Amino acid sequence: MIESTYFWTTTVFLGIGTFLIRGLFIFLSSKIKISERTKEILSFIPASILPAMVSPMVFYHQGEVGLLCHKERLVILILAVVFCYFVRNMLLTLGFGLGLLFLLTQI
Amino acid sequence: MLPITTGVFPFGLVMGTVYIHAQIPNYEALAMNVLVFGGSSQLAVIDLMLQKSSILIVIATGLIINLRFMLYSAAFSDYVQNSNVWIKLFCTYGLTDQTYAVLKAYEHKLSSQQEVVSFYMGSALCMLLAWHGSVLVGFIFGNFLPISISLDYAIPLSFVALVLPTLKNKTYFYVALMAALTAIVLKPLPYNLGLLVSALIALGFAAFLTRNSNRDQKPKSLKTEAELEFKLNVDLESHKPEGL
Repeated sequence: MIESTYFWTTTVFLGIGTFLIRGLFIFLSSKIKISERTKEILSFIPASILPAMVSPMVFYHQGEVGLLCHKERLVILILAVVFCYFVRNMLLTLGFGLGLLFLLTQI
Repeated sequence: MLPITTGVFPFGLVMGTVYIHAQIPNYEALAMNVLVFGGSSQLAVIDLMLQKSSILIVIATGLIINLRFMLYSAAFSDYVQNSNVWIKLFCTYGLTDQTYAVLKAYEHKLSSQQEVVSFYMGSALCMLLAWHGSVLVGFIFGNFLPISISLDYAIPLSFVALVLPTLKNKTYFYVALMAALTAIVLKPLPYNLGLLVSALIALGFAAFLTRNSNRDQKPKSLKTEAELEFKLNVDLESHKPEGL
């Protein structure tokens, strides 16, 4: 359970901050220009943050499958990366990963 | 317009079920969905809040994730320069990975600034409906799914599907690998600082890897400014993330 004030403060500040980030150049484009170099570095944001969120989540997870040293989530994630690389589809990747985890843990 | 929303539906479903699992009341979930309107940052802050991280770190992490919108905002700003403030406000709110990607894919077919803005507003409206609709479906049906299906595992899986299309060459792949490994090493850092610090290290690594991309190339190959400009634009256009 997330405490209500904690949740609302985060949501409001994140909401306002995100709106300002989105609007910065739309409203001030005549006054400031973004350099090509900055644009290039900004394009790396998804690659620098999303893997950093995912990796500890699965690496430190203690699972149930002794055969895989209780690291079934890590193993499946690596397989899912390969799978997703070929199919390029989120729904299929979700089905693949969740299905495999279900099979490994329930059977 | 349908193709851009197909990537959003599964992500929205995951978002909806995460709200349920985190026991967030429906009005709070709705407020976050409307105020933030940025799926990956929402998932990240909910995860951090469940671990009771310091509020400054929660907000900073969420904002770093959304910093990429600055890139889209800069790319889009030329089109709305002559529009009124209400249109600018709506365009600001509706700026997402998908609306940006679809605009980049179709802008050569649109003849005037007015057309670009109308096209963009249509796709933004479409995205808004798809996002809130799919979150609602996830929110309603998240309750009915059997517990044996480990739905929390859908979060890392959906991030994999979000980040892979953005890795357009080896450099992006190395940066992603760097981020993943640093985050594992830095996990024991206090206050859940690990994510923020590893993301910044990976971003610094990206800056290091691309340090020669548009300064040193010029004297080496004697390319003209225009050619370089063109190359960069092509590079940027090929970058079409599919996430929210």
